[in-house]
Amino acid sequence: MEKLTIKDIPLEEYTITPGSACQGCGPALAARLVFKALGDKVIRHGVPSCPDSVTRTPHTFSVFESAGAALTGISRALKVLGRDDVLAVGFIGDGGTYDIGFQALSAAAERNEDILWFCKNNEAYMNTGIQRSSATPLYAWTTTTQVGPRGRGKETPRKNLPFIVAAHHVPYVATASIAFPTDLIGKVLHAKRLRGFRFIDILCPCPTGWRFDPSRTIEVARLAVQTGMWALYEIIDGREFRLTYKPKKLKPVEEYLRIQGRFRHLTDGEIEEIQRMVDENWERLLKLDEEGEFPL
Amino acid sequence: MIEIRFHGRGGQGAVTASRLIAEAVAKEGKYAQAIPMYGTERRGAPVTAYVRIDYRPIRRRDLVHEPDIVIVIDPILSRKPSVAAGLKSGGLLLLNYPTPPEEVEIGGDFMVSTVDATTIALETLGRPITNTAVLGAFSRVTGITKLKSLEEAILKRFPGEIGKRNVEALRRAYEEVHLPKPAKGPLRPREEEPPHVTGYGVLKSVADWRVFRPVVDLEKCVGCRLCWIYCPETAISLVDEKPIIDYDKCKGCGICVHECPVKAIEFVRESV
Amino acid sequence: MTVEVMVGNKAAATGAKLSRVQVAVAFPVTPQTTIVEYLNEFITKGEMDCEFINVEGELSAQVVVQAASRIGARTFCCTSGPGCLYMHHPMHDTSSLRLPVVMAVVHRGNKGMQPDHTDLMSHIMTGWIQWYVENNQEVLDSIIMAYRVAEDMRVRIPIAVGYDGYILSYTAEPVDVPEQEEVDDFLPPYKPTPSLMPEDFDPKAPLWWRVPWEEHHKVIVDAKEVIKEVNEEFGKRFGRSYGNGLVEEYRCEDAEAVIVAMGTIASTARDAIDNLKAEGKPIGLVKLKCLVPFPYEDFQRIGSEVRAIGMIDRNVCLGVGGVGHTFIRNAIYDLEERPKVLGFHAGLAGKEVKVSDIERMAEKVLKAARGESVSPLVEWV
Repeated sequence: MEKLTIKDIPLEEYTITPGSACQGCGPALAARLVFKALGDKVIRHGVPSCPDSVTRTPHTFSVFESAGAALTGISRALKVLGRDDVLAVGFIGDGGTYDIGFQALSAAAERNEDILWFCKNNEAYMNTGIQRSSATPLYAWTTTTQVGPRGRGKETPRKNLPFIVAAHHVPYVATASIAFPTDLIGKVLHAKRLRGFRFIDILCPCPTGWRFDPSRTIEVARLAVQTGMWALYEIIDGREFRLTYKPKKLKPVEEYLRIQGRFRHLTDGEIEEIQRMVDENWERLLKLDEEGEFPL
Repeated sequence: MIEIRFHGRGGQGAVTASRLIAEAVAKEGKYAQAIPMYGTERRGAPVTAYVRIDYRPIRRRDLVHEPDIVIVIDPILSRKPSVAAGLKSGGLLLLNYPTPPEEVEIGGDFMVSTVDATTIALETLGRPITNTAVLGAFSRVTGITKLKSLEEAILKRFPGEIGKRNVEALRRAYEEVHLPKPAKGPLRPREEEPPHVTGYGVLKSVADWRVFRPVVDLEKCVGCRLCWIYCPETAISLVDEKPIIDYDKCKGCGICVHECPVKAIEFVRESV
Repeated sequence: MTVEVMVGNKAAATGAKLSRVQVAVAFPVTPQTTIVEYLNEFITKGEMDCEFINVEGELSAQVVVQAASRIGARTFCCTSGPGCLYMHHPMHDTSSLRLPVVMAVVHRGNKGMQPDHTDLMSHIMTGWIQWYVENNQEVLDSIIMAYRVAEDMRVRIPIAVGYDGYILSYTAEPVDVPEQEEVDDFLPPYKPTPSLMPEDFDPKAPLWWRVPWEEHHKVIVDAKEVIKEVNEEFGKRFGRSYGNGLVEEYRCEDAEAVIVAMGTIASTARDAIDNLKAEGKPIGLVKLKCLVPFPYEDFQRIGSEVRAIGMIDRNVCLGVGGVGHTFIRNAIYDLEERPKVLGFHAGLAGKEVKVSDIERMAEKVLKAARGESVSPLVEWV
């Protein structure tokens, strides 16, 4: 990735605002940052999801399950028409990426289609009103993983999708966060210069679905990273692994969990369990980072 | 049959208020329909809901176009004459508004009643969720449903502490509501669509989404660009490294206020 | 022009090649699979300049052609039975976005591997133009004609060209293969509207656009005239055409009754009609090629000229009846004097339809035409 400071971020905007997203919408900010970095030679593709930000790019859409196929069609048509200067860009929610769109995603990655796929990941189906996805973390409340005498929120941890995509040996996989715009844009700029299948999973908190005040969107996104709940890294060619944010010490996950209504019901024991999980994962990531190698 | 139209913004509970009325009148043996406007609701965006009440089963399934009562639970929307579009002659316009009905700007051949539900909500719930307070005013002014029925409906839906605080908001509004007066304001509703945002796309202005507005103290600002980079709606641009806010684009989310490292941005309640 | 003995699937692939398809997509499914292999062969040999994508399923195949067509490539895809059904969801959008995709459907029913028309007919409400063809020559010719119709600015609607699996897909017969230059003259390059290239970006373009229902319906109804025009022009240039493009009347002069059939049953029926004509029986054949848009006007005219119609449906809309039978009855309802309309369900799940079967059906229709009572009005053959 490219190393940037905030002053390196271009002033030019590619979103047309104000849009129809909620107050404090994480994905709306993610769209702004991503398309700032991509510039104007872009065809943007979307599938059903919440609105984020409308961009000054031609746009196409297709059915929910089909982003990988549609981006393939766009990219191949651009190739056959001799327009290799135009990027085929998917800006797709976690439903369209992790779940219903997973088959077409995997197929496009395996064919190493020349596309850029951004997952605006808000960890649940927000457009239909906060239902769990396979990106929803352990114990999170959603309207389909409720809390009561027979439910403690989501029963399983989220799918490790970036690793799964990396296992397709694609040129570039990264995670990013809207709270770390220089890291995010540095990754987008790097990915933009490569060819083949590129995937960036961006954690975008959703105040409405995660149940926190809209003013705290960035704080929540930042704590996700600082506590190790959402590590920032990149994987090159399915081989090289690098953490791009490595604090000396992680903050306790409790700081992240306690400020969100979706985790309000957590017991101390459950928080400890999540802490253990995060610690183990962080150890593993540090080891990968040290060795610099993705284990395939 | 009595027909009611609610206006509010996503997150204030207009749809919930319509359901609570339906549940309350059902307890009293009447029939009701609570209808949310089709489409997806966005936090902060104007939304619409409808209620029908009758002594016999209600069969019609169209939307309400000529309501007997319009209830606006958001103070900014209460300034828009279009909320009264289609309101029947002699009908009631019940507004969440901080001043008595005489000072309301909307006028027409209907009555207007006001209640400062935002202040009540902030003081009882700590958040500007105004729906239950407005229902207290509704009960007092119209007599269509008893306060007790609404209390039961609220406690059923929100058990525990939250329910109790909502009942407190309901009761306070019942006491504090300004009773109806003929609507004499200068702004007349025209034949236009009432405010409602759904779906996708670019909007002209979101100024009426805000309860609070961010105000920059340029003296304190150190030009770090953080407010600029974190604004989802590009409402902040940089002039000589200092943020300038476009209030047509600002939804009042408060991210800039929260993220400013030197506390140079203040969150000020929108005046009505 | 050269004559080559080829199977139906090669005729389809050759039609796509001659149409200079730029993006081709398919997922293998019996009995369509060899189209995919022929295309791969043409491309690998360098005979065809085309992006071919081996997708992971038919739903993706449909979406790839949809997206590529939107960007501006001429696209082709092909499928059969279960794969055809799996595509259903995005097919609505291909039509709603008014994209001129052409797809070969090698008919296969969903109760086994054998052909019937229930696969493509399950898509009647997706807004695709549907053609049902009877021999390998018509497969090749119809694919070329389909691009000309679909890309016409008055139409811009996708077209499915259906032919019976096994009966045509794997049966070899001589096919006249037109010269590339002749096809190029007939079929100009495809241009998308609106252009989606960044330099043409229009900020006023709607974010999510699908043609509204009423307009969508009218465009497809009006496509009948374009189909007729293109069929006629094809005839002038290549010396072959297919009735008026929508229906073909075979030996209907002086007929008091007609049999209506689709696909390969129409082909077999020609022999049955010849046999009955030789006996002096007043019967003819109407081949129904274009099911959507339905040629109401043709059937109103035919209905006013005969006393009985017998529709052979290689399909069933379960609990309702034969699709062709239902549509024809709808078409003739407003006539002052209506003919009897008999129905036959034949050839479902690949059940063989013999010349003698059709002769027997025709005799029943003739009986009805003479005013004698026949029962049942609809039968399973």
